[in-house]
Amino acid sequence: MLKIYSRFWQVNWAEQWQYRANLFMYLFYWLVSPIVYLSVWVAIANSQGSVKGLTANDFITYYLTMLVVEQFTSEITIHIFAYKVQDGTLSGELLRPLHPILTGALINNIAFKALQMLAFLPIWLLLNLLFRPDYSSVTIGSILLAVPGMLIGFWLSFLFGAMITSMAFWTTRVYSISQFFYLVTILLSGQFVPLQLMPETIQTVAGYLPFQMFRYVPIETILNRMPLNTVLQNYAISIVWLIIFHFLFRWIWREGLKRFSAVGA
Amino acid sequence: MQNLRLLSALLKINVQMALAYRVDTAVNILLELLGLGWELISLSIIFSNTQTLGGWNLGELITLLGVFHLVNALMNILIWPNTEKFNASVRDGTLDYTLLQPTDSMFLVTFSRMVIWRVWDLVLGAVLIGVGIQMSGRETSITQMLSFSLLSVTGTVILYSLWIVMIAATFWFTKFDNNVTLLQALLDTGRYPATVYPFWLRMIVTFLIPIAVATTIPLQALRGELSAGQIVLFLGISALSFLVASRIWKAGVKKYSGASS
Repeated sequence: MLKIYSRFWQVNWAEQWQYRANLFMYLFYWLVSPIVYLSVWVAIANSQGSVKGLTANDFITYYLTMLVVEQFTSEITIHIFAYKVQDGTLSGELLRPLHPILTGALINNIAFKALQMLAFLPIWLLLNLLFRPDYSSVTIGSILLAVPGMLIGFWLSFLFGAMITSMAFWTTRVYSISQFFYLVTILLSGQFVPLQLMPETIQTVAGYLPFQMFRYVPIETILNRMPLNTVLQNYAISIVWLIIFHFLFRWIWREGLKRFSAVGA
Repeated sequence: MQNLRLLSALLKINVQMALAYRVDTAVNILLELLGLGWELISLSIIFSNTQTLGGWNLGELITLLGVFHLVNALMNILIWPNTEKFNASVRDGTLDYTLLQPTDSMFLVTFSRMVIWRVWDLVLGAVLIGVGIQMSGRETSITQMLSFSLLSVTGTVILYSLWIVMIAATFWFTKFDNNVTLLQALLDTGRYPATVYPFWLRMIVTFLIPIAVATTIPLQALRGELSAGQIVLFLGISALSFLVASRIWKAGVKKYSGASS
């Protein structure tokens, strides 16, 4: 199995490497909205001292840390897989005794992120020079504590993305569905704003949902702003979600394959 | 006159194209409504934590959102689809046929594709502007309204000119056919007043990729923050940038050698 994964890695890395020229464009695209949100909240925090106890520096460190966390937890499955269902190229992959999503698509995701990381690091350092954040609350312990959170976060978002991508078996408008869930996750994952600034009810709901693991929980863990038992409690909730997502994905995939009619084959 | 006739013919073709995908159109409009809901929720979250953003109140931000929708509509109706078509036609050589037509090539390249259902975004933008002005509770004079409308148009002309320069650049640097992505990426900065951005970003969205010229600056005119001199200056800049852009376009067409020939 390991050999299979390492082969997949070689192929997908080479494939992603072809597109390295577009990399900075993608990166640029993806950086703008966090920086806009950052600027908006820093402006508010500066004008009134703090927002619900968060100072300008708290917002700067939140969004700059978010960029790093996002590198680990994001996924692009719909872009590398949905079209294969639509144009029928999935047929060829189904002949192999391997799960197309849990091998090829997974490794392609990781290769994309690894390559992106190379371009991301210098830009992130530049942003730190521009915004001059104070990271004094971060410790080695808090970073280590966040690592399992980011791994769970990636696995959750990968399975979530895979489930949405599997909707391609039922409808050609899978991108519209993904768009809808994208808007939901921006609010509930803490990407738009740290969750403590949300209305109470939404905060409570978000606390029981898996989306906060995509951004909010790992960020707050790294920045040492979440008490240890809250962190562990969130990890426990997210492991339950991981199990649910796992079975849900298996089920959706199986039902989807039954409907797959291999267009163009 | 000829251009008007041409425009109506192109409109007809594009309406037919949209009608061929009726369900898609319905789904897209639904998504757009969701997007609007999202924008309003995000504004209400911001304003549940503060009274003003960079000195602007909720009503003024809704007006800004309306102007942003107008600019965004223009991008979605014309600019993005025609960028895609233009880049493809440079790559496969079909641009030759456009250039051979006995009419202005810049006009054809701008209007050949239109995503008609996005026109709805213009209506939405207008409604948001109206509601926003009401909500802001400021007294707005006729001159402020006029200069607001005028500067929205000139700002849009400046962005359009920039786009022409960007796609014309492909004639010289074929590799850079994704430079319009820069415009696309920075467009989202138009949702908020440029005055809240850090200095370097404000410089970028004002001078380099001037999104703010079509969003923040008309709003500043509405708030009565601009002098008559500044308004005339923007008029001059937009006329000049349009002239320069069409010159560059002509020079680019001369340079173009065609992928098919």
